[in-house]
Amino acid sequence: MGYVAVKGGTLAIEESIKRLKYERIQRGQTIEVGRIQAGMRGLIDQVMSESSLYDEALAALAIKQAEGNPEEAVFLLRAFRSTVPRKHYSKVIESQDMKVERRISASFKDIPGGQILGATTDYTHRLLDFQLMTETDNSVQEWLHHYLSEKSDQELSGELKLPKVLDYLRKEGLISPCENNDREPDDVTRESLEFPSTRSQRLQVLTRGQTGAVTSFAYAVIRGYGDLHPTVGELRVGKLPVTVAPPASEENDVENDYYIGGVKATEVEMLMPFTVEKEYGKKEMEFEIGYGLCLGQNETKAIAMGILDHCLEHPNLEFPSHNEEFVLYHIDSVESTGFISHLKMPHYVTFQSKLDSVRKTRKAAREEVKNG
Amino acid sequence: MKRRRRTEILINGSRTLVEQLAQTIADNYRVKVIQEPEHGLVMMKVRETSKKSLFYLGEAFVTECKVQVEGVVGMGIVIGDQQDLAYKLAIIDAAIEAQLAETDEWSKLLESEEEKILKARKLEDQSILKTKVQFETMDVS
Repeated sequence: MGYVAVKGGTLAIEESIKRLKYERIQRGQTIEVGRIQAGMRGLIDQVMSESSLYDEALAALAIKQAEGNPEEAVFLLRAFRSTVPRKHYSKVIESQDMKVERRISASFKDIPGGQILGATTDYTHRLLDFQLMTETDNSVQEWLHHYLSEKSDQELSGELKLPKVLDYLRKEGLISPCENNDREPDDVTRESLEFPSTRSQRLQVLTRGQTGAVTSFAYAVIRGYGDLHPTVGELRVGKLPVTVAPPASEENDVENDYYIGGVKATEVEMLMPFTVEKEYGKKEMEFEIGYGLCLGQNETKAIAMGILDHCLEHPNLEFPSHNEEFVLYHIDSVESTGFISHLKMPHYVTFQSKLDSVRKTRKAAREEVKNG
Repeated sequence: MKRRRRTEILINGSRTLVEQLAQTIADNYRVKVIQEPEHGLVMMKVRETSKKSLFYLGEAFVTECKVQVEGVVGMGIVIGDQQDLAYKLAIIDAAIEAQLAETDEWSKLLESEEEKILKARKLEDQSILKTKVQFETMDVS
């Protein structure tokens, strides 16, 4: 499609921007960034994950500017990210080092280290809590004081650096063993995606995908537009430690790295039963893992990522969800919302040419009827 | 004490300790700023557990600073917009790399701070461990 620039409207655009600000503040009240950070954890985590930029304060600022609209907030953060220099690549982060805050398995009831519910809405009644209408800073501080001073009758034993649930299946030979593959990952933010894609490209696009799109595609897989019957092997939420190597250092002494902080993330290992052909055409059932890892606590998205990861590892053109081009080209927030919303920008010339064609066709048809 | 453990204590511990260690050096030596605290990104490289390969999870917003003390360069780097902390971490890093006499006693201070962090973490862990659940399957016959 060809594009033709339009000009004019400077004053109207300036007034429109003023109008936008008016809409944001028209009640004469402002919401501090710190308060967004304090009370909108879910939205902050979603925006950080879709922007693939980890900073709660910046995400809160973007949410404020975007008036709580996640697609606009993600756009703002992605644009900001492109102005900041990338100084380092972290050392390899291993999820077994996660300091767990929540960890469950839907496949096994008894898991080493136990099922830890942590903070979850899974077992809440979805009833509106009208008491929150009158919640004050004082009341929450009082609650916090009380909660933090609660003591158990006896000290609870347990570690929060926990073994992987699926190690159990690996030991039993029900999941094929594999060695670490240290091939440097590709980076879709530096080089455009090309097909066939690499595994690192697929996982990067999935982890920064739009939550709704990733979830809907994975839902379609289970409803029948795919070929999978997954179960959550393990879901864990917690902080991953991030370290970087000293600059210009030749040595690889991990003890000499810089620890720079922790990032909250959600990791999911989905179990998929799979038939494997062995020697002499013998078929055996094994399990494969669909992998999901997202910044922040984004459980539905991480589960959906795990499902789609497995779909894309097994291409099947019968199902759109197993087609990497279909999935990977359509789940990015900025790309999809950007394209759809650009349709409202002036398209006068292209539309006029379509209109001309329609008028000409109609005229030709009328003349044909008239001339018999 | 090596840098990995030291920086984790300094970042997760009390800001008072960071202040105290950096001030000791700033009071006795000339601190030359090589790179003012500035923002940057660290691309996080993770290992997935299905095929055990590597991919990029996303970038962390960081503040980084470099200073020179007694001819030795130190770097401070931390997640978030934390300019003062990055500057002080850089001073501490340079001082330890330069093996300044003042740093001889620092291991003890750092170890004591580490104990405090572990104690606070244990308390937090207790509240998380209260959510540990033992599901029981029900008879369906």
